[in-house]
Amino acid sequence: MPKHYRPPGKKKEGNAAKYVTRSQAVKNLQVSLPVFRKLCILKGVFPREPKKKVKGNHHSYYHMKDIMFLRHDPLLEKLRDIRAYEKKVKKAMSKKNRDLAERLLTRKPTYTLDRLIKERYPKFIDALRDLDDCLSMVHLFAALPAVDRAVDGEKIPVDRVHNCRRLSHEWQAYISRTHKLRKTFISVKGIYYQAEVEGQKITWLTPHALQQVLPEVDYRVLLTFLEFYETLLAFVNFKLYHSINVKYPPILDPRLEALAADLYALSRYFDANAQSSSMKTKAITSTGSEQVEDQKEGAELDEAELRLAQLQQQLPSNEPGALMHLVEDAASEDEEDVETRECKNLFKNMKFFLSREVPRESLLFIIPAFGGIVSWEGEGAPFEESDQSITHQVVDRPAQGRKFLTREYVQPQWVYDCVNARIILPTEKYMVGCIPPPHLSPFVDNEAEGHIPEYAEAIERLKAAERKEVLPLPGMGKEDLDDPQNLLGIIDRAEAIEAAKRKQKMSMLEKQYHEELKLELQGAEYSAPSTDIEGRDAEGDTAPDLQQLAEDAANMSKVVMPRKKRKLLEAMEIGKERKRAHVLRLKERKKKIDEAKKSA
Amino acid sequence: MGPRPRKENGSGKPKNEKAEKKVQKLKEKNVEENLKRIEEAEAAAESSEDSPFLSDSGEDDDESLSEDNGSISESGSEQSKLSEDEDVVRAGDGGNPTGASDDDTDHSSGDSLGEGDDNDDYHGEDSHGGSDDSREVVEESDSSEDEVAPRNTIGNVPLEWYKDEEHIGYDLSGKKIKKKERQSKLDSFLASVDDSKNWRKIYDEYNDEEVELTKEETKLIRRLLKGKAPHADFDPYAPYVDWFAWDGAKHPLSNAPEPKRRFIPSKWESKMVLRYVRAIRKGLIKFDDKPKEEPRFYALWDDSTPAERQGLAYIPAPKPKLPGHEESYNPSPEYIPTQEEINSYQLMFEEDRPKFIPKQHTSLRSVPAYEKAVRETFDRCLDLYLCPRVRKKRINIDPESLKPKLPSRKDLKPYPTTCYLEYKGHKGPVTTICTESTGQWIASGSKDGTVRIWEVETGRCLQVWDIGETIEEVAWNPLTEFPILAVAAGQDVFILDTGCGSHEQQKKIEELLHVEPQKATDDSDISASIVNWVRDDRHGGIRLKHFKTVTKVEWHRKGDYLSTLMPSGESQSVLIHQLSKGLTQRIPFKTKGIPVSTAFHPTRSIFFTATKKDVRVYDLLKQKLIKKLEAGVREISSVAIHPGGDNAIVGSKDGKLCWFDMDLSSRPYRVLRCHPKDITGVAYHRSYPLFASCSDDCTAYVFHGMVYSDMNQNPLIVPLEILRGHSSADGRGVLDCKFHPRQPWLFTAGADSLIKLYCH
Repeated sequence: MPKHYRPPGKKKEGNAAKYVTRSQAVKNLQVSLPVFRKLCILKGVFPREPKKKVKGNHHSYYHMKDIMFLRHDPLLEKLRDIRAYEKKVKKAMSKKNRDLAERLLTRKPTYTLDRLIKERYPKFIDALRDLDDCLSMVHLFAALPAVDRAVDGEKIPVDRVHNCRRLSHEWQAYISRTHKLRKTFISVKGIYYQAEVEGQKITWLTPHALQQVLPEVDYRVLLTFLEFYETLLAFVNFKLYHSINVKYPPILDPRLEALAADLYALSRYFDANAQSSSMKTKAITSTGSEQVEDQKEGAELDEAELRLAQLQQQLPSNEPGALMHLVEDAASEDEEDVETRECKNLFKNMKFFLSREVPRESLLFIIPAFGGIVSWEGEGAPFEESDQSITHQVVDRPAQGRKFLTREYVQPQWVYDCVNARIILPTEKYMVGCIPPPHLSPFVDNEAEGHIPEYAEAIERLKAAERKEVLPLPGMGKEDLDDPQNLLGIIDRAEAIEAAKRKQKMSMLEKQYHEELKLELQGAEYSAPSTDIEGRDAEGDTAPDLQQLAEDAANMSKVVMPRKKRKLLEAMEIGKERKRAHVLRLKERKKKIDEAKKSA
Repeated sequence: MGPRPRKENGSGKPKNEKAEKKVQKLKEKNVEENLKRIEEAEAAAESSEDSPFLSDSGEDDDESLSEDNGSISESGSEQSKLSEDEDVVRAGDGGNPTGASDDDTDHSSGDSLGEGDDNDDYHGEDSHGGSDDSREVVEESDSSEDEVAPRNTIGNVPLEWYKDEEHIGYDLSGKKIKKKERQSKLDSFLASVDDSKNWRKIYDEYNDEEVELTKEETKLIRRLLKGKAPHADFDPYAPYVDWFAWDGAKHPLSNAPEPKRRFIPSKWESKMVLRYVRAIRKGLIKFDDKPKEEPRFYALWDDSTPAERQGLAYIPAPKPKLPGHEESYNPSPEYIPTQEEINSYQLMFEEDRPKFIPKQHTSLRSVPAYEKAVRETFDRCLDLYLCPRVRKKRINIDPESLKPKLPSRKDLKPYPTTCYLEYKGHKGPVTTICTESTGQWIASGSKDGTVRIWEVETGRCLQVWDIGETIEEVAWNPLTEFPILAVAAGQDVFILDTGCGSHEQQKKIEELLHVEPQKATDDSDISASIVNWVRDDRHGGIRLKHFKTVTKVEWHRKGDYLSTLMPSGESQSVLIHQLSKGLTQRIPFKTKGIPVSTAFHPTRSIFFTATKKDVRVYDLLKQKLIKKLEAGVREISSVAIHPGGDNAIVGSKDGKLCWFDMDLSSRPYRVLRCHPKDITGVAYHRSYPLFASCSDDCTAYVFHGMVYSDMNQNPLIVPLEILRGHSSADGRGVLDCKFHPRQPWLFTAGADSLIKLYCH
């Protein structure tokens, strides 16, 4: 009798009973594969890796408990209903029974995912932890053009795109208002943001605001994921908005659609709103205060709605005063940690103006998140370009038409670099028309990586200078900070001191090292001829000897290691070696570039 | 109508047309399907009904056809056939060869038989007939042949009934219709090849004649085959004209009065309405289109229900990798690969190739859209729902922690560390060395055929013997009072007097070595077959002549016995010689495989033989195999026994050193993979807890190998030192290593013809 033979009537045990292949699972659930896929995506069920793959290596295995979990979900029944309903509609249509079809169309079975979200993320923190993919995807779909079209036979419905856009704006509004943004990075793929919400670091990617390429992929999968993510993000937004005492959804107004459609429409809507509340756009602070009062009272429904609407607008349209007030009012001030405060005050008392060609949405999100005031070229902007109080104008054009001497003209990268460095960097490298210094990723631990780019070092020096020299001058205020000459001078001084110190240290170390070397050499010289009849010359041998010794030591410990550990060690060494090679390559390239520069 | 003139040409005799027609009709009805153009024939038969349309076709066509056929009729074979046919018919006619009038009457009779429709046709025919009285019987029917009675009257019977008969049937008058003479196949084939109209001809088996289709008929057939109406000018979609017109008619079709129910309201409808009214009043039916909208979102996480995840343990998906410096739109210049590097990516494997090539954009506005954005999102989604997730323990450990905690080497001193002396003098690779038991001398043998004795402390060469053959092994007698040396070279083993001992010793030795030759000659009868004991005058000692090359010589601890090894000696490969008696004997066990090395147990009468695969341990007293030590290595090269006797080390040709604890197991207690090349020799120190291995990679390893007397404690093995210094020659490195018997010193013999002494 073969070993694997199981007598009839005897149940399967072990892996054979615990794990089923996908086709078995589909059969078990009596659904079609697309429905199964949808269920898995929505329920968050994924294949598992059994220790022993009973059916072979090329199958994907699901745990039987997972399948049972799917089977007991009401959603399964709902999806079956939908399938039956679709058949009915199709039948009615093909029989030209228009009445029946229309009647059926009004009674489409629907399902909600609330329960699933609660089930998958029992605590709010769980949801935040898994929010990365959700945000990236929602932002990607928000960047798709809101045009009805068929891609690969699958439509991306316009309302989904609108919804994504709305959700992403809501999320950004919250992050910006509560100053939770920590890091930003302009990559080729898009702009990365990292925020810290309730101690969770959430990173997401927004594509560049350009026409996206739509390849031929299965959009049903994407849309199923999006369906879940939309709901999840809405609930997360709800929770976050309520945590700062703002009602959600922000605006129960049909004009919301126009708002979600475009930031421009959003600003216009804000204008209209401001007018209806009989406030001029110039009287910003008064609006803010009134809003605060409204919030405190929260009595009249109309007022509250209006306020909510305004709240929504405030973020993208950047009403600085109101924003500040609101945040202060949200009683979160004492809870703020040091980092938040630091972030809040980075662009404090700075006024930005965005030219037409810079990525407006991103900067409108970032600058207020770090406490700055921002306006842009176009309708509905809070202040005009000619405003004398503007300190920085963000420009990305080779030639600028008119220049105001009171303000600095910077490239957008300056904003991102400032945010990452958490200091106001000198602007002369970011002048209009010149190539800005390299933009570095804030997500890389340079020390661990082994190679520190030149500009990272420069920023570090600036930061050190900031800490030593600039911080003890709080009374000086904004003028000092913004005066580039002054700042530069300070930085230079600090840098000089730092450099001098370093030099001293270096020389000390060098001296010590030389002495040690000498000692070593002498020792070797004395010992070698005394033991050696031949009298080998010590100079030739000592240098490789040291290396040899280290190698031998490593070798010898390897000799007694069990094979398993030795292989592991070897694998680790390979990884290390690869990393080292990478760093070495970088350094070599750097050297070559420097040489080329020198010779040029 | 077309073919008719031709037939006339062919026969040139008037005929009874009526009879012909009938025969033809019969023929046509039973057209057999053995022809290639079977459908055409059928179609022709069917189309005969429609022939009236054709009959109207112009005279020109007919003429042209007749011309065509004229050429055919000229062919001799057909002519003959036709003429015969005519004769028959004529005979049947029975002397009624008159003109058209007769024909007419016949026709009318034919009509009366049943097909009265197509009188026109007959008229046409008649007219033709009339025009050409001299015309022969028409063979080919025109389209109206259906109406003509067939010539053959046998009816619908199988034709094979007439197969052997001379006739094919009977005409109307009951006379036999004779079969035509058959053409030979060759002739008919040639005729068909010559005849360009052949494709139109059909053989009618029923009437035993060939029928040729006219152009019109073929056209008809073509149209029929296409499924169209046979005639081109027939319109199947002509507007339908209703014959019945109601307009203006006085009377209705039905005269029944309108029923009452048409005038009174329906009871059931009113009931239904009532029911609806009640339902509306009760509020069962609502008319507001929009259902009440509840707030779509709510505080999902605020309720105090216990938050526990159901189902299996959740394994969160790993987060996407965060971007590095190289992904920046404006990366540092050192992150941008040069053009050569980018080109070199093409040579790499697809998987190894970098997915992303950094590129510098001089300003933010020049950054294009990332074309793989959707694709990458999709891939991520696939990973999320399709990838099996496993919780893997990430090994985030310091590689140093993997290394075993070994006692510090400093605590294990003394051990040989540095090269102290070199013994120079050999001209070839030094294959073997041996230390004298007092530690004052060492002996070495080389490939240049010399055996040398050196003073250890000075490096002075005391004595040189030139044996003349490659020295395989030298071995000092372990007894201090007998400083004699056993040397294996070629097929001989020499026992040499070194002259290192004192005077008394020297005498004893001489005695020992002197006496033996005689003894050997005495015993030569016994052991002649194996080994010859001969007095060696040249070197001053004994020469044991073996029959195969001797590779190993090993002294027993008591100094009287001596084992020699001949790997190719098969059953007599291991021999034990007794010096005092001058005896030689085989070991009393079977050996399996080719022995590589032998060793005596240091204290007990136990003997070790190492074959390429394993080490066998024999008890010499009980004369049986005690143990088999399986090293599990490719090829054992050397073996050494711990002075305690319970442990052994085995060196192999794949560079592994196995430590056997023979009390513990027959498998190695520890395998040390130290050398990348063959291990050539292993050695234990006699008193210090040291052992060493040397290898062809020009290194020798020194280990600390402490064996505890406590049985519960395993031996402690610590690698101490790698000794280098020898250089490689001919691919060989260090060929032998031996410890000094007293000091922790190691001698190594190198292929570079040097002997080195490493001291602590």
